[in-house]
Amino acid sequence: MKPPRFRYLRAESVDGALRALADNPDSRPLAGGQSLIAMMNLRLVRPACLVDINRVAGLGYIREDGDGVAIGALTRHNDVKHSDLVRARCPLLTEAYESIAHHTVRNRGTLGGNLCHADPSSETPAVMVAVGATLVLQSVGGRREVAAEDFFQGPYETAARQDELLVEIRLPGRGAEGWAFAEVSNRHGDFAIAVIATTLRLADGRCEAARVVASAVGEHAARLRPAEDALTGGAIDDAAIERAAEAAAGAVDPHSDSHADAVYRRDAVAALTRRTLRRAAERCG
Amino acid sequence: MSERGHIPESRQREKPRADLKWIGKSMKRVEDPRLLVGKGVYTDDVNLPEMAHAAVLRSPHAHARIVSIDVSKAAALPGVLCVMTGADAAAVCDPLPTWASPPVLQPAIAHERVRHVGEAVAAVAAEDRYIAEDACELIEVEYAPLPPVVDPEEALASTGDAVLHPDRGDTNIALERKLTFGPVEEDFAAADLVIERRFRWPRSGGQPLETVGAVASYDEGSGRFTIQCNTSMYNYCGWMIADTLRVAPHKLNIVPTLAGGSFGSKMFVHKVPIIAAALARAAGQPVKFMEDRIDNTTSCDNHASDRVYYAKLALKRDGTLLSLKTRIIDDYGAYFQFGVGQHGNALSQCVGPYRINSVEVDLAAVLTNKCQQGAYRGFGSEVANFVIERLVDAAADELGMDRIALRRQNFIQPDQFPYLIPTGNMYDSGNYQAVLDETLKLADVEHWRAKQAEARAEGRHIGIGIATCQERSVFSATEFWMWNLEPGVEWTSSPDGVSVKIDPTGKAFVTLHSPFWGNSPETVAAQVLAEQLTIDPADIEITYSDTDQGLNSTGPGGSRFTVMVTGAIVGAAGKIREKLLRIAAHLMEADVRDLALEDGAVHVKGVPDMKMSIAELADKAHYYRLSMPDDLDLTSGLDATYVYDHPVTTLPDADERHMGIFYPIMGHSCHIPVVEVDIETGQVHFLHYAAVHDCGTMVNPMTLEGHIRGGTVNGIGTALFEEFRYDEAGQLTTALWTDYLIPTIKESPADIVVGHVETPSPFTEYGVKGGGEGGRMGGPPAIAAAIEDALKPLGVTIDSLPLLPSRLRALIREAQAKQA
Amino acid sequence: MERETISVTVNGRAYERQVEPRRLLSDFLRDDLRLTGTHVGCEHGVCGACTVMMDGVTARSCLTFAVMADGAEIETIEGLGSVDAMHPVQRAFWEKHGLQCGFCTPGMLMTAVELLERNSDPSVDDIRDAISGNLCRCTGYQTIVDSIRYAAHLMREDGA
Repeated sequence: MKPPRFRYLRAESVDGALRALADNPDSRPLAGGQSLIAMMNLRLVRPACLVDINRVAGLGYIREDGDGVAIGALTRHNDVKHSDLVRARCPLLTEAYESIAHHTVRNRGTLGGNLCHADPSSETPAVMVAVGATLVLQSVGGRREVAAEDFFQGPYETAARQDELLVEIRLPGRGAEGWAFAEVSNRHGDFAIAVIATTLRLADGRCEAARVVASAVGEHAARLRPAEDALTGGAIDDAAIERAAEAAAGAVDPHSDSHADAVYRRDAVAALTRRTLRRAAERCG
Repeated sequence: MSERGHIPESRQREKPRADLKWIGKSMKRVEDPRLLVGKGVYTDDVNLPEMAHAAVLRSPHAHARIVSIDVSKAAALPGVLCVMTGADAAAVCDPLPTWASPPVLQPAIAHERVRHVGEAVAAVAAEDRYIAEDACELIEVEYAPLPPVVDPEEALASTGDAVLHPDRGDTNIALERKLTFGPVEEDFAAADLVIERRFRWPRSGGQPLETVGAVASYDEGSGRFTIQCNTSMYNYCGWMIADTLRVAPHKLNIVPTLAGGSFGSKMFVHKVPIIAAALARAAGQPVKFMEDRIDNTTSCDNHASDRVYYAKLALKRDGTLLSLKTRIIDDYGAYFQFGVGQHGNALSQCVGPYRINSVEVDLAAVLTNKCQQGAYRGFGSEVANFVIERLVDAAADELGMDRIALRRQNFIQPDQFPYLIPTGNMYDSGNYQAVLDETLKLADVEHWRAKQAEARAEGRHIGIGIATCQERSVFSATEFWMWNLEPGVEWTSSPDGVSVKIDPTGKAFVTLHSPFWGNSPETVAAQVLAEQLTIDPADIEITYSDTDQGLNSTGPGGSRFTVMVTGAIVGAAGKIREKLLRIAAHLMEADVRDLALEDGAVHVKGVPDMKMSIAELADKAHYYRLSMPDDLDLTSGLDATYVYDHPVTTLPDADERHMGIFYPIMGHSCHIPVVEVDIETGQVHFLHYAAVHDCGTMVNPMTLEGHIRGGTVNGIGTALFEEFRYDEAGQLTTALWTDYLIPTIKESPADIVVGHVETPSPFTEYGVKGGGEGGRMGGPPAIAAAIEDALKPLGVTIDSLPLLPSRLRALIREAQAKQA
Repeated sequence: MERETISVTVNGRAYERQVEPRRLLSDFLRDDLRLTGTHVGCEHGVCGACTVMMDGVTARSCLTFAVMADGAEIETIEGLGSVDAMHPVQRAFWEKHGLQCGFCTPGMLMTAVELLERNSDPSVDDIRDAISGNLCRCTGYQTIVDSIRYAAHLMREDGA
């Protein structure tokens, strides 16, 4: 179980990394490597060239961004997990980290790498879509911003071009938004069988905006609009939550594998939608 | 009782005693210091000059003919030393060792046909493992797929192209036999009630953290192989490896390394050392072949039992158990290395701790396109335990009786031991009532019943389960006899030996002839020898022999080691003690009968000043021959070897009325888990777990508890998470450890409360019994019972494992639909 | 074959070696430096047996290319303590029977050391969180938790 050969380039700066990616169309970035190297050991992926960005200066930070947070793409998971600023301004992400991997993997793995890897059963993409994060991509040609909702396009597929590097993740301030994250997995810390990340905004007891986002039950993290529609405009009571849960289950078309069958995943989506909505509603205001 | 055989006289020399100094002490392990500082030498830590590294090309097909194989590109890759196909291997190797008769021939490297995903199709030796894997990718193989056989019940009817081994006839049934012990039909006719259930026990595996490996070298000058390897049984039947390599047995030396866990899976490692040795001879250089995890999960030859049971339990309305009938279809995978040894194990304790008068076993062992079976804690008896315990629970429910009360009513009573069960195996001793009572106390069942009631009122689901478990230990080779269709390995010896030496300064050296495989052989040996010679364990050094030096020793496996090495040390130490006393008598001019060995010295009884230390006596024994008695048998030095035979075994009955005594040192346990089930997600959490084991006299309670707790978590894995699952095409969908789900600490109870009852064996030295496997055996039926109890309001029945959240949720969903 | 020159400090000793970019840190430590105390259990990042300390925090050496460790300070089990001068964590694992086969032990010890360096008095839950990525097939984990708690006690005593 040894990786195949590849060319290795080490970047010391963002510009250097972007140039290396542009000059080597067969290359991809190497960040923490916690997913990529495992897949390379299994020879499931075989990049011809890796651009190691671990030494790139200025990509590891967590800072205020208006009333939100900006996170450098190379920030390690444990730094995000334990950040007071993230906890205050995007507690949904902090809550999600309770279910993400294990300590040692979080030491090396990066938030940006995790998002770009776009594993369909990963937790962080669901959080990004639920909070309406913006992902900042950069290439030698310039920068562009992509809404998280548009970033995830399929299993291991994102809107980032080969020559683009994710440099920053911007999480908006939550205002009075309620939030909750829940997942089921067979073992703690495993990739999820089903994930629901929820945000809710209430005005005068009525739901002004809701996001119900699922992961691990489709090709990528995605909003479950029928569930959101079942909530918007009304009170968040048991009946509304039940309608949303049913709508959520109906909105997914999950797969079966050795971890769980499709029926279970759909059931779990309903259960997690119920649970997250109850918690999110309590947390509004 | 003659139908069940006879019970020999006990040959026990050392009775259990209250005044033991070292036996019974939770002494820190002798093995640990080097393991804690990273200086333990496991197989992969062995590095020889000029050593090459091997990798194998694994079959992507479950079942296929190999049409052609072209290794030219691989052989031309720089750094590659040697590429070996199945045909190349067949030219220099015979089929792998087997206990089945007639055998199901297994090549070291698949030749002409592949029979399971992951089977080696070619092996490469290269300068490093990276290059070896690169070379594997360059081997071009053309396969002609054959129908994959995956479902064991469908395998019963396979013909034609679906037959894995056509040379054995047009069938995938490796063996089919019905054995009847006692008046089964009469007992069923007399029954008021027959409980009938179908059970499905899943394929799991020991999966130690360390895979199997070997470092082999071949010396052309002497024509000898040396293989360093993490195997047990090397001093018992290591010569079989030489047979396969087509060299005389004395042209092979097997040197044991530490094994990073086994749980049975390294009991007799054969394929890996044979591939390494064949490559080493071909390449002219030492070769290391260390399985990677996928090699191991797909092709370790040690997947565990994979069975379908159709079981019937006959009983009286008053709860008296009468008879047990089982039809078993056991999915052995592609080969049959141990024959149906797993069922011999099961028959050693198939009636559990209960008085059941008769037993029928109708077994079909089928061959399918999967990795073959081997050993894993329980070695098949854990499945029988699951079946009997589930049947007893079902019987209690059917009769409206308390599950605990029905067990208590049918227990074999303490005054009935030694007890022959219908299959002829003996239970040497036991006190099942005491174990049950102790477990109920530790589990605080009343407290949890109250919690359960509170939780139910809140719509939560807490359950309490109970299972008892026989914990057979110390198998005898006679177990191999009964099942084979043709006379095969009809051995009756399964001993273990030690060599003990006291050097001239009084320090003791023990050579073990069995390996370390994660147990505590050095600690046990040190404690028993310290007890025997009244010396300090710190003055004892323990080493392991290779086959060149080795004595006949079966090794760990079947929870044998502690009992057997204790017997061997008692034997060897007895010889040394006798010599010490004789020399001391001579030197102190005393009568041997007036001497005693105490605190490391020989004393004249009643004369405190008259004594000689072991060191003084050892010095005399080594260097002062002319001061010794003039006796040809009294040689210089102070050493002894002793090969301890199985303490109590008898031959199987020639008319097959019973199997003889083959697994008689019978421990017992009771497990009571308390779980909470989340009915929306099917997830199970442990709230409490109590386990009481009776392993006879305990040598080291601390290490025994380690086995119990570790085994219990293995049992949790089997019950809830682990499965080698093959899809319809015969692909192993759980080959990675992301998918084969070993419990992490988060899935394990925070506190497994362990208790002990000590009912000594009347047959073993000091009354010791084995205790290596029971944790895994007791857990699954107890956990299933606890989950059933939690879901009682829904009426869920558990008869298959593992209960992954998705599976349990499916049962809950069905039950809810039925209620609605 | 393309090779990179790397300089690493392992257990306080500086090494300079040429490695293929694909060489895993686990193989570099075990085969190139002959520090075989770090064990390899799964090579796909699940079991934690290969855990080492890299620049002060734990890393899975099977999920790290040796080239990525260029310039890094690495600590392995061999640097933790010797038989005659064990680290408190090693003493505690011996005392509380925190190991059986010993194969997961080096990774478990490095993970425990990291925990105790940031938390001198961890709760049972803290410990369970910290070692949840390290599989042990022998112990059922309970005595490992006992060992780490005892190590914390020993380290507090030593520090006092």
